[in-house]
Amino acid sequence: MTIIVLGAGLFFGSPFAALLHSFAGADGFVALLNRQVLVVVGTSLLTAILATALAAVVGTVLGYHFTYRKKTGGRWLKTFFSLPLVLPPSAAGYMLLLAFGRYGLIGAPLYQTFSLQIMFTTTALVLAQFFVITPLMMQAASSAFQQVPESLVKASHSLGADEYTTFVKVLLPLSRPVLVAGVITAFARAIGEFGATMMVAGRLKTIPIMIYVKAMGGDAGVADGLSLLLVLLSFMVLLLVNFLGEKRR
Amino acid sequence: MTLLLENVSLQIDRNPILEQISFRLPVGQVLVVLGKSGAGKSKLLEVIAGLLRNQSGRIVFGGRDLSALSPQEREIGFVFQDYALFPHMTAEENILFGLQARQAPIREQTKWLNAVAVELKIDHLLKRFPAELSGGQQQRVALARCMVLRPEVLLLDEPLSALDAASRERLALLMKKIQKKYRVTMLYVTHDHNEARFMGDQVLVVDQGRVVQMGSPEEIFACPVSRFVAHFTATRNILPGRIRERCGEGQALVEVVGTQLVSTSFPAQGEDVWVCIRPENFSFVEASSVAPPQQMSDKISGKIPGETTSENIISGYRISQIISQSGVTVLVELLNRGARLMVFVAHREIEQRGLLVNKEVELAVPANHVHCLPRQPEDIYCRPE
Repeated sequence: MTIIVLGAGLFFGSPFAALLHSFAGADGFVALLNRQVLVVVGTSLLTAILATALAAVVGTVLGYHFTYRKKTGGRWLKTFFSLPLVLPPSAAGYMLLLAFGRYGLIGAPLYQTFSLQIMFTTTALVLAQFFVITPLMMQAASSAFQQVPESLVKASHSLGADEYTTFVKVLLPLSRPVLVAGVITAFARAIGEFGATMMVAGRLKTIPIMIYVKAMGGDAGVADGLSLLLVLLSFMVLLLVNFLGEKRR
Repeated sequence: MTLLLENVSLQIDRNPILEQISFRLPVGQVLVVLGKSGAGKSKLLEVIAGLLRNQSGRIVFGGRDLSALSPQEREIGFVFQDYALFPHMTAEENILFGLQARQAPIREQTKWLNAVAVELKIDHLLKRFPAELSGGQQQRVALARCMVLRPEVLLLDEPLSALDAASRERLALLMKKIQKKYRVTMLYVTHDHNEARFMGDQVLVVDQGRVVQMGSPEEIFACPVSRFVAHFTATRNILPGRIRERCGEGQALVEVVGTQLVSTSFPAQGEDVWVCIRPENFSFVEASSVAPPQQMSDKISGKIPGETTSENIISGYRISQIISQSGVTVLVELLNRGARLMVFVAHREIEQRGLLVNKEVELAVPANHVHCLPRQPEDIYCRPE
């Protein structure tokens, strides 16, 4: 047991140690202070925030739907909406291309009638991240709503509150910590999304894409800095989510 | 004006939960729904409140068919077993929830809130959250939350089950008072026969989703229609017997535990019966050692078991156990003929009569308290438990 724990610690620790070592050898975060990198960080933040906001609304509604109105749709539909969680991100990105590309199922008519191009724009980045993180949000919302005792919902209805009032005044406040944790996790996942985003990005870059490009191109300074940035962000997110979880208890 | 249920049936995932439930309850009365857990009592309330949809049958209140209405439109109060207070709201916010959902004017909200809070003695608790309230206080807030809406029908699902004995009594009295004052039609679910007797104008006994018996508490307790009802209403003595003779004048001679008793409540046909005698309907007559008090010997003089008299005397019993239970003493009697009778007497009587374990006694029971139920010959030896 102890050996496995130690071995795992060594294995999981080594990439972090290597990153810190490489980062310390270079000129720190100074490498990030150029226009190109700042634009990428800005794009990443903007798209991740937009995608998270969208996913927070849609995921919460889906979670509510599958918790309280199971009859319409049911298990199959919920499984379908969960698919992006296990789908390889590159496949997800490719499928988005097929759907929204200039010659795609939906993209073609959009382009022909409105000369609207979605792919290889910021909108595409948002859509790709939204596609990947919405199931995450849906599951968080589902479990949040399931924790609210059924009798509270019934009490609300019997006191004359309609479905919307019950949702806003009873369900949302009681599941807020879990929902917030879900939103934070979804944001972290969105900003770190690589595969699907890469497929639809075209010449646009987000932080993970930039890391890939710079690492392959041998520009260690930027790759180190950005990687460390994401590591720190992820760490803080996990701390925050755990903190919220403890507060609830 | 009545609350009327007509052949209401409910299935959940194709399992029958309620089957053909029908009853008629006059407005302003209390109907106690009595049954074991899992009998469908709570589901019956949820169907009436519209929280569950019955697949067939009608629910009508005051001439208005509620069957197709949503819970909000039915305006029926519901007090849940776990109180279902909103934990993120204060008592006051909980109570005002329904008025706000109905968008009642603020002045009216305050008026009703204050009236109900004073009435239910929770006016000093309004700023507290449910977690800061005792069980009894939570229950009163839950009751207040329904009563501010002035419902015509109030459904209560085992409202006292989670409380200690003292709060239980207090709340039962309070609920009865409020029910009387507002003449609210009440359905009260419980598995406790004492609550049923105290609260109910009518009692509906439910078993496995079906109505087994409905009647006044007196009827249900004195004349249960089946061994299940007899057992469930705490008829502690249910003994196999045989009807020897139907003597006319509404009396029958029934043989039970080696003696013959007169009964005025018996099936028209069949010999095999269950003889039900409630433990509180016995009185004591000493057989030996101590001379019976004067008035008692007068009372039983000239009354011989088996004759068409109203008092039966059962002799040859020995006290086997005296169990004290909150003021009422439960006395288990063991007969040398192998049967057991359970008798309730007041603690005082035990002292006055010097009742001791192993002492022989005679028991008297009036004929109208010997209730006979039809029995299949094969289930003679299975004792109800």
